[in-house]
Amino acid sequence: MTIEGPGPLIRLFGLTKGRARPVGEPIDLVAIVTTLRMPVEPTDLIPEQMEVLRMCRRPTPVADVAAQLKLPLNVTRVILGDLRREGLVAIDRPRPVAQSIDERIYREVLHGLRSL
Amino acid sequence: MDFAASEASATTAPPALAIKILIAGGFGVGKTTLVGTISEIRPLHTEEFLSDRSIGIDDTSGVEGKVTTTVALDFGRITIREGLWLYLFGTPGQDRFWFMWDELAVGALGAVVLADTRRLQDCFPAVDYFEQRGIPFVVGVNCFDGARRYEVSKIRKALGIAPEIPIILCDVRQRESVKEVLTTLVTYAVKGVPVDPHPVG
Repeated sequence: MTIEGPGPLIRLFGLTKGRARPVGEPIDLVAIVTTLRMPVEPTDLIPEQMEVLRMCRRPTPVADVAAQLKLPLNVTRVILGDLRREGLVAIDRPRPVAQSIDERIYREVLHGLRSL
Repeated sequence: MDFAASEASATTAPPALAIKILIAGGFGVGKTTLVGTISEIRPLHTEEFLSDRSIGIDDTSGVEGKVTTTVALDFGRITIREGLWLYLFGTPGQDRFWFMWDELAVGALGAVVLADTRRLQDCFPAVDYFEQRGIPFVVGVNCFDGARRYEVSKIRKALGIAPEIPIILCDVRQRESVKEVLTTLVTYAVKGVPVDPHPVG
């Protein structure tokens, strides 16, 4: 773990227009982001938003989106929240683990881990 | 806006799922090594408000009004198949980053608490944290070169944890060993806990 200088925060402030939280409901670290459609007027979007839309044609968890954008998590969330408001992406709400992991997924995970 | 309903009806394929596993333990116990042994490590940055306490620690001279700091933590991804992943998040080992634990812990399948027998007390806070929140965890005792070997029963007694909680002697540098730790956790979390103790939302 490292602490970095404040320099990049000035640029990040611009990206989010100073917002610290996304619009709409909170966005979980491993919520799955899926691109629903590309914008009619792509020029309305900042490059980071376009990158998200390209990346999330394949459903992608939020943590991966942040890592690929090389942007802090909360900045990424603000960008995702804006895209969600415009109806360009869907962000699923993770279900409780007990409901999402059935016997089949459990076996898949065990098998996958053992074959690494 | 809620897309869950339309998503479910639009496709019959199983929805993509990212399973979150936490790797906890004291500073320098081998959390990052474990993640790197089994998966490709990627950096994740998060900017957070500084508490009054940490403002005193960080040097903020010359940065007027600086109230946020950037914290980097590592996470690893294991792809089981397209649309099914395990995410390993190393929890911050320093006390001043406790605020991040809650975010990491929400909806987690479970946790690996790494312990070093030379500094067993370093993992007490992690054990307390997961016990209090009912998050399933296993203890991985990282057997460093030269570290004195202890019997599992003695470690269990020292940690004061329930008899059903698995304790695994491991070497976080060895992939086979890390696989055993993770498969033990997944089985314990899925089979050993009949109802979800930490629902999302």
